[in-house]
Amino acid sequence: MAGEDLIVQFQQLGMSEQKAKETLKNANVTKNLQLALAETKLPLPDGAGMLLYHMASKLKPQIAGQLPLLVKYIVERKLDNTQRVDAALEYLLKLGQKKNATVDVAELERECGVGVVVTPEEIERIVQQKIKGSYKEILLEQRYHFNSFKIMQEVRNELKWADAKSLKSAIDVEIFDLLGPKTEADLKPLPKQTDKQPKANAKTEVKAAAATETDGANTIAELMKTKVHFHAPGENYKTDGYVVTEHTEQLLRDHLKATGGRVQTRFPPEPNGILHIGHAKAININFGYAAAHDGACYLRYDDTNPEKEEEKFFIAIREMVEWLGYKPCKITYSSDNFQQLYDWAVVLIKKNLAYVCHQKADELKGFNPPPSPWRERPIEESLILFEDMRRGKIDEGAATLRLKLTLEEGKVDPVAYRIKFIAHHRTGAAWCIYPTYDYTHCLCDSIEQITHSLCTKEFQSRRSSYYWLCNALNIYCPVQWEYGRLNMNYALVSKRKIAKLITEHIVHDWDDPRLFTLTALRRRGFPAEAINNFCAQMGVTGAQISVDPAMLEAAVRDVLNVSAPRRLIVLEPLKVTISNYPHKAAVELEVPNFPQNPELGTHKITLDRVLYIERSDFKEEPEKGYRRLSPQQSVGLRHAGLVISVEQVVRDPVTGDIVELICSSKSAEEAEKPKAFVQWVSQPIQLEVRLYEQLFKHKNPEDPNEVPGGFLSDISADSMSVLCAYADRSLKGVKVYDKFQFERIGFFSVDPDTNGSHIVFNRTVGLKEDAGKK
Amino acid sequence: MSTGLITELNKLNSLERVAKELHTKVQYSTRKELSPYVEGDDTVVKLLNENAKLKHRLAIINQAIADEKKNMSPETDSDNTLLIMDHLEKIFSAAIAEAYPLYSKTPVIIAAVNNVSAKFGDYQCNNAMGLAKKMKEAGISISPRDIATEIKRCCPASPLIDKIEVAGAGFVNVFLSKQHAVSALTTMLRDGISPPNVPKKRILVDFSSPNIAKQMHVGHLRSTIIGESICRLLEFLQHDVLRINHLGDWGTQFGMLIAHLEDRFPNFINESPPIGDLQAFYKESKKRFDDDEHFKKRAYQHVVTLQAGDPKSIKAWQLICDVSRQEFQKIYNRLDVTIEERGESFYQSRMLSVVEFLRSKNLLEHDDGREIMWPNVNKTGIPLTIVKSDGGFTYDTSDMAAIRHRIEEECVNWIIYVVDSGQSTHFNSIFEAAQRCGIANPNEHRIDHVQFGVVLGEDGKKFKTRSGDTVKLSDLLDEGMKCSLKQLQDRGRDQILTPQELSDAQESVAYGCIKYADLCHNRISDYVFSFEKMLDDRGNTAVYLLYTYSRICSIARSSGEDFSNPAKILDAFNIVLDHEKEWKLAKTLLKFFDIIIKCSSGLYLHFLCEFCYEVCTAFTEFYDSCYCIEKDKTGKIVKVNHSRILLCEATAAVLRQCFKILGLKPVAKI
Repeated sequence: MAGEDLIVQFQQLGMSEQKAKETLKNANVTKNLQLALAETKLPLPDGAGMLLYHMASKLKPQIAGQLPLLVKYIVERKLDNTQRVDAALEYLLKLGQKKNATVDVAELERECGVGVVVTPEEIERIVQQKIKGSYKEILLEQRYHFNSFKIMQEVRNELKWADAKSLKSAIDVEIFDLLGPKTEADLKPLPKQTDKQPKANAKTEVKAAAATETDGANTIAELMKTKVHFHAPGENYKTDGYVVTEHTEQLLRDHLKATGGRVQTRFPPEPNGILHIGHAKAININFGYAAAHDGACYLRYDDTNPEKEEEKFFIAIREMVEWLGYKPCKITYSSDNFQQLYDWAVVLIKKNLAYVCHQKADELKGFNPPPSPWRERPIEESLILFEDMRRGKIDEGAATLRLKLTLEEGKVDPVAYRIKFIAHHRTGAAWCIYPTYDYTHCLCDSIEQITHSLCTKEFQSRRSSYYWLCNALNIYCPVQWEYGRLNMNYALVSKRKIAKLITEHIVHDWDDPRLFTLTALRRRGFPAEAINNFCAQMGVTGAQISVDPAMLEAAVRDVLNVSAPRRLIVLEPLKVTISNYPHKAAVELEVPNFPQNPELGTHKITLDRVLYIERSDFKEEPEKGYRRLSPQQSVGLRHAGLVISVEQVVRDPVTGDIVELICSSKSAEEAEKPKAFVQWVSQPIQLEVRLYEQLFKHKNPEDPNEVPGGFLSDISADSMSVLCAYADRSLKGVKVYDKFQFERIGFFSVDPDTNGSHIVFNRTVGLKEDAGKK
Repeated sequence: MSTGLITELNKLNSLERVAKELHTKVQYSTRKELSPYVEGDDTVVKLLNENAKLKHRLAIINQAIADEKKNMSPETDSDNTLLIMDHLEKIFSAAIAEAYPLYSKTPVIIAAVNNVSAKFGDYQCNNAMGLAKKMKEAGISISPRDIATEIKRCCPASPLIDKIEVAGAGFVNVFLSKQHAVSALTTMLRDGISPPNVPKKRILVDFSSPNIAKQMHVGHLRSTIIGESICRLLEFLQHDVLRINHLGDWGTQFGMLIAHLEDRFPNFINESPPIGDLQAFYKESKKRFDDDEHFKKRAYQHVVTLQAGDPKSIKAWQLICDVSRQEFQKIYNRLDVTIEERGESFYQSRMLSVVEFLRSKNLLEHDDGREIMWPNVNKTGIPLTIVKSDGGFTYDTSDMAAIRHRIEEECVNWIIYVVDSGQSTHFNSIFEAAQRCGIANPNEHRIDHVQFGVVLGEDGKKFKTRSGDTVKLSDLLDEGMKCSLKQLQDRGRDQILTPQELSDAQESVAYGCIKYADLCHNRISDYVFSFEKMLDDRGNTAVYLLYTYSRICSIARSSGEDFSNPAKILDAFNIVLDHEKEWKLAKTLLKFFDIIIKCSSGLYLHFLCEFCYEVCTAFTEFYDSCYCIEKDKTGKIVKVNHSRILLCEATAAVLRQCFKILGLKPVAKI
């Protein structure tokens, strides 16, 4: 049918032309609608057209076969509102758990409330009862800011099939009765709430509207509760593409029994490298989703490839998960299941679903590898050869076990096992055949009774093989959900390439703060909370996201702003002697940790006749608009209550460099209000301060189009500089990872290199976004 | 000040880094571990990796061996109810040990009872008489019959045995259980014929071994046929079998061949010489060698250059070998023989080292310029010539090098030489010498010389052509093809069979009868080669067996039902052995496993041939008296006896397995 014709037909269903055109763009809905139209004759009874559209857009592939029944019921007005249509869809979907189940019409009608009529009087009665009962007080208090949706829901509980429109107007009438016309105050938006309300759905409409604009949320918990719509445990069959077999119903029942209906997720890193910012998203989604639903999340080391695994990676991964604030319900290893996986492989061979192949790895490369000449070999033969593989009788590379299955992307017969004469760090010399990711992953998920197998979009094409394998073995089949990968611009995450940076002495180690590994971010001073919030802001959509580090830095600032106490530090000190120092000796001043929030504590700093200011805060020949110290212009000393003016500039007799300023001071009350206040220190201690800049010049240093010379040619010259700064003595006892805002400079964190008197700080981020650039 | 400080700090940092690296390097080098700092040396890293892999593989394989040993524990062995003789021996050995503990070591005597006297049971234990005699010598007087009765009483129960009776003077007669036979046949049909469980060995079979530049003749035929069948038999028993062709490719004859090649085809390096008839070429050069002194000298010189590895000589040698090799391969293809070439030349370097080895053990003695070795300490028999007076080596040297390679490098624990009886002295010396110098250990290595007699013509003399030449093997095979076709035509088969079926039958009969005629006699005796006899369709011949087999196959075919999957039929029908001939055929079939063991222990294949014949005879008796398919007068099928057709199928399966070992290719239509 031509597009034009369809648009006309769609309009006859009650759509606007615009809507009809939009609908046409959605192939799935269009197909369903076409099928629906084929089932019936136009014109349709009033409203049925849009219900057909509603049904067509919500119909899942599992129950596509039930379309004629649905159309019939809609046209006959048995399903006469969206609520009933939704109920019918839900009922049929639930039925789909059983393979080839027949529809019990009576039950369907009961579930959908076919023929149930709710009179306006009934609605009025219940609405009155609710509003005059439990809601009266809160309504009188919050008036029209109260979200009446809550009342609607409660009425619905009692009058399931009440018409939405009548219900809404009945509530509006009752509220009007109670409160009278809206006052001016009712029309104003509410002031922003500072604290979160205990009940999420009691939030103001204003707030709710703001949140729906993006896919992200402020925190992971919020994201997982409000933005993510995965299936409920045990309702696997309701998801798109889930394959129902005759065992599904029983398996799901057993699964629910085993888990008690608990949400179970897992974070399954390969222990062959260091975690980076991309992993933070996976950690947050898996642990966060489980936490938000009172579920459990496993940390599973996917250690099926013995070649690259090292003990240190295991420890580092766990440490990073814990650093991000998550606790695995259990730590598991794919290798724990080697025997089970092997036994299942034998089952697959016996079912003629897998075979031993001798094609070489080279032969299988490229787009159109030749089909395996061993595909149809006798089962017996494969069994013997597979046993030979296990017993070390066959050379590495001379045989693999392959599954009889074609992946969506066209890859034929993926490899399930390969021979590697390498000891495994956990199983030692027990095995010389190791399972592949494709084979292991879904089976381990099944063993662990995972409810939601969350993975990145690249694995979408493996979903059918995932389901195929579980079903081939008649074991519980989890649901795979995909989300888009998080890529960080200007960052390099490949393990091999980072290693290269280290051996080339471009960075110092895996946790060099210029990198985007999680250890590097921690060392640089990024709070875990900020990383988590950043992930929450990115959301759990299917789109692959590439963001600039600035986004992450902004999240870091948000957290540090309210958590990092302020300190006075000068990075490049210039000595200042106050000629008329008002005190006899050094004095201690009490200074607030957070000047905007004095109740959050204070610390003491020392003021003396000799002090140091930032060299850049003095200019002999100031340009126009310059606000700080110059021979002609005085400046305030922050927190000291003094304003200083230059009396004399002392120079090095040889170089002519300025070495000291002799200044006079006035108390702040006496002096004219200076244009600016600067930070200073007296009787300072020395700090080593490391400043970091972006390591790479280009967004995608690995992209040969952007950087033809390879990532090593893209290194910025001065990505790290070291300064010897002066700080007040109050910083003497800092501990590693303590974080501060150095006033007017930026946020800094104590580096692990700190020992005893030698204190090292890393600059985490500048105070403003552009501070770190140019 | 600050800039200076920064550079200083940076310097210090990098110095610290260097120090750290050096420190780790030092640590690694003292620990002698795989260090990341040998990265520069790729070969070292590669070798270290390879070494780690080999170690891992070794651990895996050792584990697998340990597992296998566990699985081969004696309990599983004794469970082997396929071997009836073996089982009965165990039963009676236990019975004798219980009845007369003093005589528990007495070897058990079990005999299969000739089928005619069915009332005497199927097997007999005949120990009672011997025991009575021994006891009498010891002063105890018990009658054999009483002893037999006591043995009977002490026999443990067995699923194989229906009943035991004492008969006559003191025979213990064993009647097999039909129930067991039914279940054994059912398993056979369902799962195929699996070999009896025996300890697995690594075996090298040295057979065929023709000489380069010479034709294969009937002498090689016997070694090839017997060797191939021995390999198949041992492979059926799941041994790890190496089939080795010890080609004569390194003798002095190559000197003259190379010299002659140089003269005839001076450009042979660049252009392959067209030596189609290598024999003629050999004869020509031999003549020159015998007549021409100068040529003879050159020939000897070439032996030296060849053995020294001179490229030109090697090239010439390879060319000559290739011609022969192609000829041999044609024969092997026709006879369906698989063999791996490992000629004498292969042992050149090993001959050097075996001489060193023997010298170092002080086993070589100088004798008139030669270095000889006595095969035993007593210095009896004929000594082996290890080094000739001109410094060259002999067959003795290469055979010593070969046996050492086989045991020490190939790690075999059983070597079988299939060579004619004429060489038994030589091989006995080699075997003795191998033991004397410590290469072979009689407790670990079994070494057999599988001897065979010569092939005689119908005149009872050595098989020759009419002109008195040795018979060329290819001619003989051609002749066989002709005779077999003629025989098929005489029987009018060319009218019935399609051209393809006819040609299959012709080959099957021709090569089958040549192999079978060789195998069906005790190999030690000489045998008379006669196409007429071997193509006879009566008596113990390949033709009879093949005909019977095709008849058995036709039964299931003509039943109008599909018997290709016996398991399916067995789901609906049981095997019944009520008729006397059914029972007899069944018992015959079940002897198969005992026969296989008997053949493999002495490496005699004629037992298997006799068994085939026995099966075919029992089948004919069965078929003559038992209807498998009943038809009415119009030829319409009235009744199909599924049990009997299953019995036919079991017979066919057993024969097929025997044929496979004997190298016979059964055809469904003949």
